[in-house]
Amino acid sequence: MSLISRNIFRALVQGSQHVSKGVHTSAVNTKENVCFAPQSISTLQPNASKEGRIKCTLIPGDGVGPELVYSVQEVFKAAGIPVDFESFFFSEVNPTLSAPLEDVVNSITRNKICIKGILATPDFSHTGELQTLNMKLRNALDLYANVVHVKSLPNVKCRHHDVDCIIIREQTEGEYSALEHESVPGVVECLKIITAAKSERIAKFAFDYAVKMGRKKVTAVHKANIMKLGDGLFLRSCEEMAKLYPRIQFEKMIVDNCTMQMVSNPNQFDVMVTPNLYGNIVDNLASGLVGGAGVVAGASYSAECAVFEQGARHIFSGAVGKNIANPTAMLLCSANLLSHVNLPKYSRMIKNAINTVLKDGKVRTKDLGGQSTTKDFTYAVIHCLS
Amino acid sequence: MSRNYIKELLKPLRESKVVGGFLRWLKPAGSVDTAGVWDGENKAPATRNGVAQYSTGVRKVTLIPGHGIGPEITVAVQKIFEAAKVPIEWDEVDVTAVRGPDGKFGIPQKAIDSVNANKIGLKGPLMTPVGKGYRSLNLALRKEFDLYANVRPCKSLDGIKTLYDNVDVVTIRENTEGEYSGIEHEIVDGVVQSIKLITEEASKRVAEFAFQFARDNKRKKVTAVHKANIMRMSDGLFLRCCRELATKYPDIKFEERYLDTVCLNMVQDPSKFDVLVMPNLYGDIMSDMCSGLVGGLGLTPSGNIGKNGALFESVHGTAPDIAGKDMANPTALLLSAIMMLRHLQLNEHADRVQNACYAVLREGKSLTGDLGGTGKCSEFTNAIISKL
Amino acid sequence: MAVRLFSKLRVLPEIKAAYSSSAAAAAPAQLSDFDVQHKTPVIRKQKLIPKAQYGGRHAVTMLPGGGIGPECMGYVRDIFKYIGAPVDFEIVDIDPTVDNDDDVLYAITTIKRNGVGLKGNIETKSEAAYVTSRNVALRNELDMYAYVLNCKSFPGVETRHKDIDVVIIRQNTEGEYAMLEHESVHGVIESMKVVTASNSERVARFAFEFARKNGRKKVTTVHKANIMKLSDGLFLETSKRLAKEYPDIEHNDMIIDNCCMQLVAKPHQFDVMLMTNLYGSIVSNVVCGLLGGAGLLSGRNYGDHYAVFEPGTRNTGTAIAGKNVANPIAMINASIDMLEHLGHHFHADLLRRAVHKTINVDRIMTPDVGGTASSTDVVNAIIGNIGLNH
Repeated sequence: MSLISRNIFRALVQGSQHVSKGVHTSAVNTKENVCFAPQSISTLQPNASKEGRIKCTLIPGDGVGPELVYSVQEVFKAAGIPVDFESFFFSEVNPTLSAPLEDVVNSITRNKICIKGILATPDFSHTGELQTLNMKLRNALDLYANVVHVKSLPNVKCRHHDVDCIIIREQTEGEYSALEHESVPGVVECLKIITAAKSERIAKFAFDYAVKMGRKKVTAVHKANIMKLGDGLFLRSCEEMAKLYPRIQFEKMIVDNCTMQMVSNPNQFDVMVTPNLYGNIVDNLASGLVGGAGVVAGASYSAECAVFEQGARHIFSGAVGKNIANPTAMLLCSANLLSHVNLPKYSRMIKNAINTVLKDGKVRTKDLGGQSTTKDFTYAVIHCLS
Repeated sequence: MSRNYIKELLKPLRESKVVGGFLRWLKPAGSVDTAGVWDGENKAPATRNGVAQYSTGVRKVTLIPGHGIGPEITVAVQKIFEAAKVPIEWDEVDVTAVRGPDGKFGIPQKAIDSVNANKIGLKGPLMTPVGKGYRSLNLALRKEFDLYANVRPCKSLDGIKTLYDNVDVVTIRENTEGEYSGIEHEIVDGVVQSIKLITEEASKRVAEFAFQFARDNKRKKVTAVHKANIMRMSDGLFLRCCRELATKYPDIKFEERYLDTVCLNMVQDPSKFDVLVMPNLYGDIMSDMCSGLVGGLGLTPSGNIGKNGALFESVHGTAPDIAGKDMANPTALLLSAIMMLRHLQLNEHADRVQNACYAVLREGKSLTGDLGGTGKCSEFTNAIISKL
Repeated sequence: MAVRLFSKLRVLPEIKAAYSSSAAAAAPAQLSDFDVQHKTPVIRKQKLIPKAQYGGRHAVTMLPGGGIGPECMGYVRDIFKYIGAPVDFEIVDIDPTVDNDDDVLYAITTIKRNGVGLKGNIETKSEAAYVTSRNVALRNELDMYAYVLNCKSFPGVETRHKDIDVVIIRQNTEGEYAMLEHESVHGVIESMKVVTASNSERVARFAFEFARKNGRKKVTTVHKANIMKLSDGLFLETSKRLAKEYPDIEHNDMIIDNCCMQLVAKPHQFDVMLMTNLYGSIVSNVVCGLLGGAGLLSGRNYGDHYAVFEPGTRNTGTAIAGKNVANPIAMINASIDMLEHLGHHFHADLLRRAVHKTINVDRIMTPDVGGTASSTDVVNAIIGNIGLNH
C-alpha cells in the first residue's frame, strides 16, 4: 500500500514538473529563440554579429570526460563555430564541488542543448539515495529518449563491417526506477515500472525517428515471454504505434535472441526500440561491434531539449590524465549537435574531418590500435577542417 | 532385459507418493536445510549429492528426448555413448504435458520421480503448447528440481567459422529469482509494476557454485556481472554475496564488472573473460550472446544445477520444420551430455567423446545443414563414432 | 461516408462541458496552441498519440499537392532552412492520377502522428463518382470541423477597399459537402445537405472563443434560413443560443446573398463571420478577391486534435505551375500560421515582418497582384529582408 501511494506520489510530482516545465519554457521562448534563429543566418552570413552565437550547456563529467570535452572546445575554436559554452562541473563522485542540479537543469532548459561527458555512478550514494545523478538529471528534464547511432567507421578495424543501426532506448522508467527495498533481511525487491504512456511515447519517437532518417524497419526488443505484463505492455504499445506507420516494417525480437543476432549478424538491424535496461545492453553491445565506447555518439531527447553524450557511457577511469582517450565519439556528438541547431555546414565539416583522419589511419588512439594521444587526434582533426 | 523387468516392478513404488516421499526423505541434508550448507565450511556443494549414490560403475540417467528434432538427436547421443562404452544406463521418460489435479497441464509425475531418483537427467528441446493453462515445461522442470544455476560453457570450436576465435567463457546464471520472479501487477490502468527479487540465500548459493565450478574446472577467474550503480540495493546485495564468497576462494581471481561494460568488452575481446556469474535476466541475455559468439545455440551445451539433481539440456528450439528428416545437428545435446559426464566425474569418457566430436567438426566433412554442410544427422553421428 | 457522418451525431453529448473546460485550460497564454491542442482535446474519445516534438523540434507533415504546390513548398523549405525554424518536414506526395486512396490514407495517418500539417491543394483527377475529393476526405477523416481564414488587407496591394480585416470561420466537415448524392429516378439527382446540432455547436463555440481570444467584437452568422428552414435554421439557432453565453461579443446574422452584396459594398462592417460549408467557400473567395486575389491569404483547418495549414483559396493553379510566376505568399503565410500554432513565435514574427516589408514597403510582388517579379524574386527578397531585420 505504501508502495502504491509512493508511486502515485511520484507520478504526481512528475506530472506537475512536466506542466510547470512546459509553462516555464514557453515563457522564456522568445529569449531562447533569439539564439536559435540568427545562428542559422550566420551560416549564410559569416560576419554575423555577436548576437548570432548559440549558447550550449557543457557538462564535462568524470573520468576522461574533461579531456574529451576540451578536445571538442579546441575543434570548435579552430573551426570558428559560433557556439558559446556554459560549463558546469557536475559530478556524483565529487558531491561537494558539484553544481546544484537545479542550476544545470535551468541552464539546459534555457539553452535547449547540452553536451555532456560521462558521469560516474558509484555503487552507493553518500546520502543513501537510490537515484543516481544521471537519473535525476534525466527525470528533471524528462529526457526520455536515448538515441545511439551505431555505424561502422572507415578504417576502424573490427570483426563486423557495415553495421548501421539506430538504438532507441526509453530511459526514464523500467528497471531504472530506483524503487528498491529490503522487505525482510536478505531479500531485496526492485521494482520495474512500465507505463503505457511512456511506452507509447518512446515507440512513437522511434517510428518518427525512423521516418525522419528514412529508415525501413523498427525492431522492438523485449522479454514479454517471461515478463508478460510489463514487457507485454511495452510490446503492445509498440504494436499500437506501428499501425500508424504503415510504410515502416515492424518486428519484435526477444532480448536474448537479439543479443545473439547482434553478435553474429548485426546487419539485419535498422532501428531498434527498447525499454531501459535492454537498451543499455544493446547499446553497449553494438558499440563494441564498431570499435568501442570511444567512437559511438549518442543523444538524449526530451520534447524540449536535447543532450548530446557518448553512446556507451564509460568513464574509462584508467586513462584519466594519460591523454590516450579517443575523442571521436565526443566530436561526433558535437557534430550532431550542430546539425540539430541548424548549423549543418559546420556539422559536415567536423564529420568530414574525422572521416579523413580515420581513413588516413596515421593518427589513431590506443583503442583503435594506434599510439597517438588524444591531443594528436584532435589536432589531426583540426588540420583536416576545411 | 532383467533390468527392465525390475524397473517395471519398481514403477508403482516410485509413482506412489508415500514411497516417493520416503525416498526424498532419505536424501542428504543439503536439500532440506540449505542454510546449513552455506554456513558450513568448504563442503562439497550439494550438486554432487547425486553422484555419491552410485559407486558401482553404471550410472542411471533420466533421458527426456523432447519434441521436434529431440528424439533424433537423443538417439544420436545414445548411439555415440554406446559406441564409446560409457557406463550409463538411460531411463527414458516422456514429459508431454498431462493434465494435473489442478486442471493445468504439467509434467507427468513419472518423469519427476525418475529425475528425483536418478538425480541426473539429459533433455532435448521441449515445446510448450501455446494456450491458456499451459505452463512452460522448461520452467516447470526448473521449479520442480530447484535448478538454481544454469551453466553454459561457450568455447570456440575448430572448424566452425565465426568472427570470434578465442572465446572460452562460462556463463553461470542464477535461475530461480531476479527479474523472472513472475510477480507482476497492473497498479492502475496502463502502469505495470514487475518485481525483481534478489535474496541473499540464492545469491550466495549461485556465487558459491560459480567459485566451486571454477575451482573444479581449473578456471582462473570469476567475474560478477551486475548493475549495482543503478540498482543499488538489489544488485548491490548480489554483489556483496559474491564478494563474500570470493574471500573463501582465494585461489580464484575475482572481479566485478558492470553489465554494459561486459557487453562492450565481450564483443571486442572475449578472451578477457573466464567465468561469469550473474542474476537471472543478465544471465539469460549474456549466455545467448556468448553462444552467438561461437556459432549459435546449436553448438552450445547447457547444464542446470539444482540441489535435487542436475539437468543437462540443449537449449535450441524444437525445429519442427526439419524434424524427422535426419537433418538436425546433435552437437549441442552431445556437448551437454559430455558436460554431464564430467559432472558425474567420468572425465575419461568425456574426453574421448569430446575429442571425437571436435575432430569431426574440425574436419568439417559431415557437418549438418545449419553449419553449412550437407551431412545428415546420422552421417555426423557415424563420423564421430568412427573417431572414438 | 454516411455511416461516418451519422456516427458523429451520436458522439458528442457532453461537448459543452468539455469545451468550457478547454477554454479554462487555454487561459495561460504562454502555452502554444500546439500544446493546448495536444493536452486538452475537447473529446477524449480518441486515444492520445504522444506528440511529435523532440529536442525542441517539431515534426510536421507536408503535403505539396498538385499544381503550384510543390514549388511553393520548396520556397517554404528554403526559408525555413534560412531562419533555422526548428521544424522537420515529413513530405508525403500524393499521386493525383491514381484511383485508390492509399496515398491519401497515408497522408492522413502522418497528420495523425504529427498533429500538424502544411498542405497545398490536392488534386482529384478521377471523375468517378466513388472517388471522393481528397481534400474533403482529409478534412472529414481528421474531423477538422473549423476553417479559419484571416482576411487582412495588404497596404502594398492595390485594391478598391482598404483596411479590410475580416475573419471567416467556416464549418468544414458537413453541410453541402456531405458528398451524399444519388440519382433516385433517371434524370433526378438528389444531393443531401447535412447539418447536425453537435457540429454546429462546435463550430459556433469555436467562433465565439476565437473572437474572445483575439479581442474581436462581433460575430456574424451567415445562412439561408429563410429557404432552408430546417438545416440552416438549426445552424442559426445554435449560434444564437451560444451567443447568449458570450454577452461580451455582439452577434447578428445575415442571409448569404445579402452578405455577398454587403461584402463588396461595405466590407468594413464585418468582423468575425460564421457560416456553413458552401457559404464559406463562396464568401472566402469573395473576400480574397477584394484583397487582391488567390495568392495572398492563408487558411487554417482546426480539429480537436489536429491542425492543417494551407493557402486560403483552394485553387490548384495547374495552369501556371512551373512558370515561376505563382505567388508564394499564400503558402508562406500558411507556414507563418503554422509556426505560431507550434509556439515558435520568434520565427513567425521574423518571417511575418519580412513578408510585410517585401510586399508593403519594397512592393516586390508577382504579376497576379500587380507586380512584375517572379516567384523566386519574391522569395529572395523575403530572405533578404529577414537578414535586414537585424
